Amino acid sequence: MNRAFDYRAATSFSEALGWLAEMGSNARPLAGGTDLLVNVRAGLMTPTCVIDLKPIPEITTLSFDEGEGLLIGAGVTINEIIESEVIQQQYPLLAICAHQLASHQVRNRATVVGNIVNASPCADMAPPLLCLQAEIEIQGNDGARWVPCATFFTGAKQTILKPGELVSRIRVPAAMQGAKGGYKKLKRIQGHDLGIVGVALAALDSAVHIAVSSAAATPVLVKPFSRTDDLGTVVAAVCEAISPIDDVRCTKDYRLFMAETYVKRLWQEVVA
Amino acid sequence: MYHDASPESLRYVGQGPARLESKQKLTGQATYVADMAMSGMLHARVKTSPHARARIIKIDTSKAEALPGVRAVVTGEELDYRLGLYVVDKYILAKGEVRHYGEAVAAVAADSVVIAEKAVQLIEVEYEVLTPVLQPLDAIKEDAPLVHADLGSYDYFKPAFTPQPGTNIVNHNKIRKGDVEKAFTEADYVIERFYTNPSVQHVPIETHVSIAKWGTDDQITIWSAAQSPHTVKNLFAVAFKIPHRNVRVQVPYIGGGFGGKAGIGLEPLVAVLSRKAGGRPVRLQATREEEFSLLPCRSGLQQRIKTGVSADGRILAQQMTQYWDAGAYADYAVNVQRAASYSGSGPYEIPNCWVDSYALYTNKPYSTAYRGFGHVEFHWGIERHMELVASAIDMDPLEFRLKNLLRPGSRTITGEEITPHTGNVIKCVETVAESIGYGKLTDEEKEREQRTGRKIGKAVAALQKAPAMPPFTAASVVAKMNQDGTVTLNVSLTDMGQGTYTSLAQLAAERLKFPLEKVHVAFETDTDRDPYDWQTVASKGLMLSGNATILAAEDLLKNAYEVASQILRATAHDMDHDDEKIFIKHHPGRSISFKEIAVGYAYPDGNGIGGPLIGVGRYIAQGLGHIDKETGQGLPALDWTYGAHGMVVEADPETGEYTILKIASAFDVGKAINTGLVRGQAIGGMLQGLGTAFCEGYIFDEQGRLLNPSFTDNKIPTAMDLPLEVDAYVVETAQIDGPYGARGVGEHSMISVCSALGNALQQAVGVELTHMPMRFEDVWRALNNKTPIDNWITKSPVGSCRSAPELRRHE
Amino acid sequence: MKVKTTVNGQVYERETVPYKTLLHFIREEIGLTGTKEGCAAGECGACTVILNGKPVNSCLVLAVEANDAVIETVEGEGAGNELSDLQAAFERHHATQCGFCTPGMLMSIRDLLRRHPKPTVEQIKAGIEGNFCRCTGYVQVIEAVLDATGQSAKKGELKHVS
Ligand SMILES: Cc1cc2nc3c(=O)[nH]c(=O)nc-3n(C[C@@H](O)[C@@H](O)[C@H](O)COP(=O)(O)OP(=O)(O)OC[C@H]3O[C@@H](n4cnc5c(N)ncnc54)[C@H](O)[C@@H]3O)c2cc1C
Ligand code: FES
Ligand code: FES
Repeated sequence: MNRAFDYRAATSFSEALGWLAEMGSNARPLAGGTDLLVNVRAGLMTPTCVIDLKPIPEITTLSFDEGEGLLIGAGVTINEIIESEVIQQQYPLLAICAHQLASHQVRNRATVVGNIVNASPCADMAPPLLCLQAEIEIQGNDGARWVPCATFFTGAKQTILKPGELVSRIRVPAAMQGAKGGYKKLKRIQGHDLGIVGVALAALDSAVHIAVSSAAATPVLVKPFSRTDDLGTVVAAVCEAISPIDDVRCTKDYRLFMAETYVKRLWQEVVA
Repeated sequence: MYHDASPESLRYVGQGPARLESKQKLTGQATYVADMAMSGMLHARVKTSPHARARIIKIDTSKAEALPGVRAVVTGEELDYRLGLYVVDKYILAKGEVRHYGEAVAAVAADSVVIAEKAVQLIEVEYEVLTPVLQPLDAIKEDAPLVHADLGSYDYFKPAFTPQPGTNIVNHNKIRKGDVEKAFTEADYVIERFYTNPSVQHVPIETHVSIAKWGTDDQITIWSAAQSPHTVKNLFAVAFKIPHRNVRVQVPYIGGGFGGKAGIGLEPLVAVLSRKAGGRPVRLQATREEEFSLLPCRSGLQQRIKTGVSADGRILAQQMTQYWDAGAYADYAVNVQRAASYSGSGPYEIPNCWVDSYALYTNKPYSTAYRGFGHVEFHWGIERHMELVASAIDMDPLEFRLKNLLRPGSRTITGEEITPHTGNVIKCVETVAESIGYGKLTDEEKEREQRTGRKIGKAVAALQKAPAMPPFTAASVVAKMNQDGTVTLNVSLTDMGQGTYTSLAQLAAERLKFPLEKVHVAFETDTDRDPYDWQTVASKGLMLSGNATILAAEDLLKNAYEVASQILRATAHDMDHDDEKIFIKHHPGRSISFKEIAVGYAYPDGNGIGGPLIGVGRYIAQGLGHIDKETGQGLPALDWTYGAHGMVVEADPETGEYTILKIASAFDVGKAINTGLVRGQAIGGMLQGLGTAFCEGYIFDEQGRLLNPSFTDNKIPTAMDLPLEVDAYVVETAQIDGPYGARGVGEHSMISVCSALGNALQQAVGVELTHMPMRFEDVWRALNNKTPIDNWITKSPVGSCRSAPELRRHE
Repeated sequence: MKVKTTVNGQVYERETVPYKTLLHFIREEIGLTGTKEGCAAGECGACTVILNGKPVNSCLVLAVEANDAVIETVEGEGAGNELSDLQAAFERHHATQCGFCTPGMLMSIRDLLRRHPKPTVEQIKAGIEGNFCRCTGYVQVIEAVLDATGQSAKKGELKHVS
């Protein structure tokens, strides 16, 4: 690495939280490092210490039961999501989106939690978690709380996490098991690339949930729809909910058009 | 040489043996510059400009110098050396003014990269930001700010270039063949379009890296990932006014070059850091980000093409004006532009042809050689234009091409006559057209269209390229016999992955009739050890060094025969060689092995004769000359390699997304010396061409800051981006003066790939695209008749893309 | 900080700064320079090594994170001077040109073959998606993998037009 910093390996959340409290904004939690280390190298983040969460035993949790639903610990990698049989069967949208994230090597390190904490508008795990009504467990020095994923993102690379707080788990409700889904992600190449715009759709019983990435400052969950809704109304609601911009990857116009097209096509494929 | 050797007589030429060095590479043992470490070595980092154009008011290095572990800090003020291949216009570090985003203004050598990086951040530079000139068409305006106000005082290579002081025109070439004005009035149709493409990066996976040691008595050793060690040595010695013998350049394995490492790069900077650090070796490796802006790129091109055709589809006249975006320094860009002027029509017979080609300075990262040397860029326009002209006169584009392509008896735009052994472009085009099933969709393809809702289009594009080099370019090879009768070749042409060394070994083994494994080519190049070669560029390596290898092998044989003649008491005429022996033809049992005479022969009584066997081969390009500055007439080309691509694309008529189903490429290589290597060049270059066709390209903001200097927003093709089917063909029309009839093919595979894609998209969904890359959004914009724009930030209009369903020929 | 790792079956114990990447640790501290750096940002895959059985971009792993880990690099792919079947297939099929991407590419494929002993072309493409190669155009790499897995020894053909 081109910049110096210290490293500490936490063996429990309380230890990590203690260090974070001690060092304040100079410390940064480290999960897979696929965002953090890239940012440090680029000089976008300048921690004096990184706190490795991976040695915390419980963060590898990846479990499902009818009561709790699906629990994803802060150390669960994207490839573990892809490989999980229960996810493939009960929450296929998670695996579909995970497959679209980066390359195989990156996915072996990148975590789901890191992906949403990093809170990039193009985070590929955000749309499925939003569609599946996921909740995020936040740990602070004054205890733990659950928040809906839909309130987690507050701005470009901004979340509701307060300084010194950590995400410990993600829960996908049991009620969403069996949701059918699809994800369309526009990229510049067929190989691994960040999304230019992405639309995820999950359908369960009569409800349809749609979330969009790379089309606003945060990933966007559109209000829930019903199977019987008119597609024109759905498309209009999606366009209303997003606020795409021009950037190096494409124009606002094309983003809008592709979001619209993807919604139509996903609706045809999954709902109709 | 030996172009007419019968295939049956050949043992190695025409086969596909594995690379000589593949085991080194496959086991991770091949040593690249980045893998080298020396005792006392320091690490360098560079302070670069955040502005495209600015006056440097002050540089304060005091804090950096005070940082523990910093051993040397340099700024432009203390370095009065200018460098340049053709126009001597570039300081080692910016002096007085920065001319592009990412230009180096100061550098540090320290005990570690981390310290050097920190020191660089501590350097404070005060700038007065000036308005940059960013577009070539702005740069050519009379009142444009001057990128180089002192252009008039620069030294330059006079026989080939004409910088125009007081302007941003660093070179202008003209071709004047026939009378275009008159021919346009006689033409039935005149069609004119404007084509553009942006600057792009070479992206070798190994970034530029150099280590230098400036020792006592000005003894300088440089280890560098450089394509052309003797050019580094020459430019270095000239800039520092040091005798050539003091400068030693060593090049170990190179992790790809593609032209980006062809000239001189980081070497002078690391050398001056070493000098300042008391002669300790200093290492500098460019970051990927620096690779995009500190180091050179490929020129952008904006080109107007106007073509007059007869009603029956003959090209009568063509006028082309090329505006090359050289960026801040001339480097190779002027020669790229010059080559693009004399080759500018592509492989077509055009009786009346005018070209005006300008290389323009702009405040952008400077440009250099890149695989294809200008030909990818101008063929983009030419081959799109041929498609559009054909469509405009309602003729099939393939038929139109076949009617106008060069053939024996044709004259090129510089007046060169095409002969039956020049190469056969028509066959290349016919081959790829047949391979893709040009002109109609199969039942399977029709069914696919039905199933996917996408449209399939098929098209071809042709290409040509000759080496662009001084007419007197030379190369040499030394073949040395080892004590065990094996042979080592020393060359200073480098093998950066293209595989030329393996082909040279095949040529030497062929002449010597030695087993291939007995011939070794010394991989690490060293200017103190290896004989001169101009540069590893231009696809001239196989031809010049190949011929030199044959001559070296023959020289070695001549020396060996002299000794054998004494031992066997026979004249050379009565002897032959094979099986690593020289024998008397009439009494094959009477022989002497090469091993016995390798370093001199010893008679049983101890008397010695002969001496170590060495062969020297020298070859220089023949019969070429400087082209006339006013008319462009003359003979600039050592050999023309022709080729063509056929492309099948499937596109979504709604969104503009597309997938390439098939690409077939054919090249007239004269003779494929190594079939595996030729195929590797054909496919590798094709995919590199596709990258620039579908996504690669520099994106600047209005201030000239590069917005995508990394893989995050400058993607290159991955394995997922391969066309579903890839075919490579060779046509073999022997080049009489090529080794066993061969000509170069290293660059050609990249040329016209983008045009083939543009043409196929036109046939698929009826879009007229004149700007590359063709991002999905570009296709969508064309489909919807939206203004074509160069990028999504500045939104400068480019080209004339439009929906043109009438241009589709194949339903 | 002390880092102890097993690389290609050999145990190494080294003192290192906490911010050293695993890539630089392997190259500079252990001295195995086969693994390359092409971007230092997780994009190109030149730095791919197998860490505890999984291929990763070693430029995005800290050496201290690999304490007690088992690592495989290109240097462990063959046996002594013998090429592995995969390397030998690469050699036959001209699947390396400049060679800079090759060490990382081989590690990705080694892992792919553990997951899919007879991978399809699609699986091969996905398996090396994270390994940029600017030279070969990947076709000869894919052919080499098919050959190494006994699926097709056919060499890709350079077609001669008569
Ligand atoms: C080459 C490359 C390609 C990529 N492509 C994609 C892509 O296609 N799609 C996509 O969505 N992403 C992509 N990414 C980014 C993706 O890898 C990350 O978003 C990843 O999921 C982050 O997880 P991580 O474990 O690596 O997080 P880290 O980098 O370890 O952490 C990310 C951020 O979250 C913080 N953090 C981590 N864990 C916690 C915690 N438990 N509590 C609080 N804060 C925490 C860190 O301090 C850091 O700020 C790519 C990255 C690379 C390098
Ligand atoms: S160097 Fe690690 S991915 Fe490029
Ligand atoms: S062989 Fe050069 S990058 Fe792959």
